[in-house]
Amino acid sequence: MVASGFRRFAERVGDGVGQPRVDEDGEELMHVQPGVGIALGNRPQEFPGTLYITSKRVIWLSDTDHTRGYAVDFLAISLHAVSRDPDAYAFPCIYAQIETDAGEDERSEDSDSECIEELDPSKVTEMRLVPSEPSHLDALFDIFCEGAELNPDPTEAREENEWVFGDEQIAVDGDDSEWHLSEDLANPIGHANGHEDLAHSVLELQINDQRFEDAEEAEQQARRHTE
Amino acid sequence: MLFFSYFKELVGKEVTVELKNDLAIKGILHSVDQYLNIKLENTRVVDQDKYPHMLSVRNCFIRGSVVRYVQLPPDGVDIDILHDATRREARGG
Repeated sequence: MVASGFRRFAERVGDGVGQPRVDEDGEELMHVQPGVGIALGNRPQEFPGTLYITSKRVIWLSDTDHTRGYAVDFLAISLHAVSRDPDAYAFPCIYAQIETDAGEDERSEDSDSECIEELDPSKVTEMRLVPSEPSHLDALFDIFCEGAELNPDPTEAREENEWVFGDEQIAVDGDDSEWHLSEDLANPIGHANGHEDLAHSVLELQINDQRFEDAEEAEQQARRHTE
Repeated sequence: MLFFSYFKELVGKEVTVELKNDLAIKGILHSVDQYLNIKLENTRVVDQDKYPHMLSVRNCFIRGSVVRYVQLPPDGVDIDILHDATRREARGG
């Protein structure tokens, strides 16, 4: 997550003046939006530039200075929204909050030092993308949503593994009251209220639970032995 | 999956999403996906003095992993269902 935060980016194809170079491992360019300015934190807007949205990240490249550009992974974008109120920002824009590796303390330091000229990309927590044509905002918002959905956090899988370990421990403990509750399938929660989705997922979870498979096998074997 | 299923039932209701960076956003729940990414509409920031730049935001996509709490509307909570479902979840489904 740390490595995927906001950073400078100037890797372009075509003698360093073309489109951004994307990763070999399956990154695809999804959308190109010319005529987009970028404002980082409270800094002035940089313009003109082109916005490239790939399946992994958002890249902005300056049209005039080919050494200037920024990239941020979707994994590091906490939140994005369409901002249209001139009281909040002079131009309609896509507003995005960016997760940094800095803690809360450093983040507040960051806002104090925003007047300093030199930009530290790793401390950028807010980004505004300003299309020259505000009518593109809603489409851009949807593309950002799509990108975020393509990039779920990798922690999800880890949590599932932890659950499996938890199951095994419970099974070994063999607490009677636990078993009584988990076999109470006569009235699954979702059915009681007609929520089929919930009932389905609850049943699915139990069916896929390896603990039960093992138990059945063990039972069958035990039965065979007694026969 | 439990939370996903449950949050889907709350679509159209007003919730308050509190982020891990302390920003709290109130809005109508537009949609939620399996990663608990949340889309809100008609949003407003709870602590507007602290986050003036968020004032204008009408709709908002929040990454599931940055959400700390979701405050639910009282009429969106069926205690019996939640009680049973969370007990199942606590046992590892």
